[in-house]
Amino acid sequence: MRLICLLLLFWTTPIHASKPEPPIRFGLTAVVVTENLRFLDQWSQYLSHKMGRKIEFVLRKSYQDVIDLLDSGGIEFAWICGYPYVQTREPESLQLLTVPIYRGAPRYHSYIIVHHSSPYKHFSDLKGKIFAFSDPDSNSGFLYPLNLMTEKGDKPESFFRQTFFTFNHAETVQAVSEQVADGGAVDSYIWEYLAIFRPEITEKTRIIKTSPSFGFPPIVSRKGVNDSTVSLMKRTLENMDEDSAGKVLLDRLKLDGFGHFSDSLFNEIRAMAHKTQRANPIYSMLPTD
Amino acid sequence: MPILSPKSWSLAVKLSLTITAVVTAVGFMIGAVIMAQDWKRFQDELGAKALLLSEFVAITTPKAMLRKDYWQLHLSLKNMASRRSDKTGGHEVITAMILDTEGKVLAHLHPAENKIDLPFSPENKIEEKLFQQAMSTRSTIVLSSGGFSKSGFQEGVVPIFSDQKYMGVVRVRLSVAQLYEKAKDSALIVLALVFCFVILGSGLGTIVSRRMVKPLAAVTQGLEAVGRGEMTDFTPIPINERDEIGHLSVTFNQIMAELAEKKMLEEEIAMSEKLVALGRITAGVAHEVNNPLAGLLNCIDTLRKHPDDKKLIDRYLPVIDQGLHRIKDIVHSLLVGLKIEESHETVSIQHIDKLHDLITAEIGERNIDVIWENRTNRDLHIPGKIEQIVCNLLKNAVEILPEGGKVAFCMYQDGSHLVIEVSDNGPGIPSNIRNQLFDPFFTTKTNGTGLGLWVVYRLVQSMEGIIEVMSDEDQGATFHVSVPVITMKAA
Repeated sequence: MRLICLLLLFWTTPIHASKPEPPIRFGLTAVVVTENLRFLDQWSQYLSHKMGRKIEFVLRKSYQDVIDLLDSGGIEFAWICGYPYVQTREPESLQLLTVPIYRGAPRYHSYIIVHHSSPYKHFSDLKGKIFAFSDPDSNSGFLYPLNLMTEKGDKPESFFRQTFFTFNHAETVQAVSEQVADGGAVDSYIWEYLAIFRPEITEKTRIIKTSPSFGFPPIVSRKGVNDSTVSLMKRTLENMDEDSAGKVLLDRLKLDGFGHFSDSLFNEIRAMAHKTQRANPIYSMLPTD
Repeated sequence: MPILSPKSWSLAVKLSLTITAVVTAVGFMIGAVIMAQDWKRFQDELGAKALLLSEFVAITTPKAMLRKDYWQLHLSLKNMASRRSDKTGGHEVITAMILDTEGKVLAHLHPAENKIDLPFSPENKIEEKLFQQAMSTRSTIVLSSGGFSKSGFQEGVVPIFSDQKYMGVVRVRLSVAQLYEKAKDSALIVLALVFCFVILGSGLGTIVSRRMVKPLAAVTQGLEAVGRGEMTDFTPIPINERDEIGHLSVTFNQIMAELAEKKMLEEEIAMSEKLVALGRITAGVAHEVNNPLAGLLNCIDTLRKHPDDKKLIDRYLPVIDQGLHRIKDIVHSLLVGLKIEESHETVSIQHIDKLHDLITAEIGERNIDVIWENRTNRDLHIPGKIEQIVCNLLKNAVEILPEGGKVAFCMYQDGSHLVIEVSDNGPGIPSNIRNQLFDPFFTTKTNGTGLGLWVVYRLVQSMEGIIEVMSDEDQGATFHVSVPVITMKAA
């Protein structure tokens, strides 16, 4: 009887609560594979159910689009890359909510990949070639390779013959596998994710360089969103590994869970951004559309 | 091999073969035209599709081109290629590319071989030519290559403009391989139809030509029968059509009927002529036999009245003997003539030469010169009738010749005919009796029976030969006989 009452409570509460309030909008970027719409539906249903409010995922092409949405109040939460997170804004509009835990730690790498049949073994072999970046605001897909060149005193426009942005890590892997680009820089999490779900693409690529670890792309909230919603979202995400439905979703995401970490997790990225920005001030002004 | 020579083929075969050939030629020509038109239509449709796809890419790319968004350009080509093949399952995009104003690759469906931002390098001269055409055009064009083969293609070329500024070109190339298969399938159907058409046509042609030629074959048979002289048992050709051949058949049937009637009339006339001749012979025999018989009976009557009159006996016995011999001669001549007329025996040519001796004996002491010339092959065998002909002609000449006369015999072969000429330098034949020369019992000689030349005439006729007489009064006479003989070698 008590169980039935609990169940009733469980089902009725969200209905009453969600009626007067608008949905919570959650921006997603290329840090996750966003093509799987059915999965996103399931995840939003899960979050809606847990938080008692409708959660709506908002997809945009570039990181900048999502940051702009955050700035303008178009979304409340976003899963962005560490690089835009560390970029200073006046006034600061974001705050760190939670960080995904991937293979036991909130860290990931940047992979420099080439076509599996190509002769390139080092990043320097890609000099004079075509290179695919993921997003101008991506740490693993742009900042890290930019930093590699900066360290050696090179600039992308002289180091590579031609470069282009795919605005999507998965498409960077595709561009290299189809030999549209000779090399590319991708998020290790996305590459490994594709290696499981779309191995036919990753099999055609070869990793020639793995970066040091960086803080995993975090989930941020817009400053100004009420604290209870922020803390509810934080709690819901961080507790996903505690129920079976959440575990299933995490397994689909190939993540261990979400956890609370300090802002210092992104210090490496911050330092790299600082260094690169000074060396190549133009790249802080790259148009994204 | 007469079967291999078209000249020896029957008209029915030639006609049906001609109809078959014509039907086949027409069938294949129509088939070829249909297939060519089909192929052209397919190609045109494919060209239009290639152009449409190029235009689709060209519309969506100028912005990405300005931004040098190579990935977007690549995706637009890829999406176009994959969507096309998904949608129709039909025309495979062989290749597609976006080139800038300098011919550099902005995007290519095969990026591994055609690196972006490098000048496009055509593989061969044909590709070079197409590349030049694509680069030089400022309006949409369709390029094609390959003719009727699997490797052919249709390429839609669309120049890209942004604000009327030329930015580059889109080339989308579709393979004709699937069209080729489609065209091949329809060609097979057309071929099968043509084949059926040919079989039907030649079958009909055979039937028609046989029906047309059938009356002609009947006419030929009829004419052969005429040649053999068998006109009475001819079956009329059935008339089925009212066309030229039908008309010919009708006319032929009429001619045959008339010929048969004529033949019957001739036979009747011949029969009555025979009866007339028989009557004349009978009358002649009766007359010739009766003449001596009257004398003989008188003699016998006188002798009976005077049985002891030795003188009378001596006087009348030779007369009776002479009269009986004359009757015997007449009967003998008639019998010999008729007997030989029926005979089919053959004799060696040497038998003729023996007649030389016989006639020499006949001449006896008389001063008559015989010139003998036999130019025939010694191995030749001839009908026995010829011996009698030669004998009678020679006897006739010798009997008529005065002392010091000459008779010449000459025999030679002229093709399938044996020619016999007997000439004399006697008194010749007066023109007024030439018509009666071969009549029975007609004679100018005192002791002649008038049957010698008649027998000759009958024998020559029985062998379907010709006898001619050439004579001028006081210039002698020549009998010219020509009879067909079958050359036979002596066994």
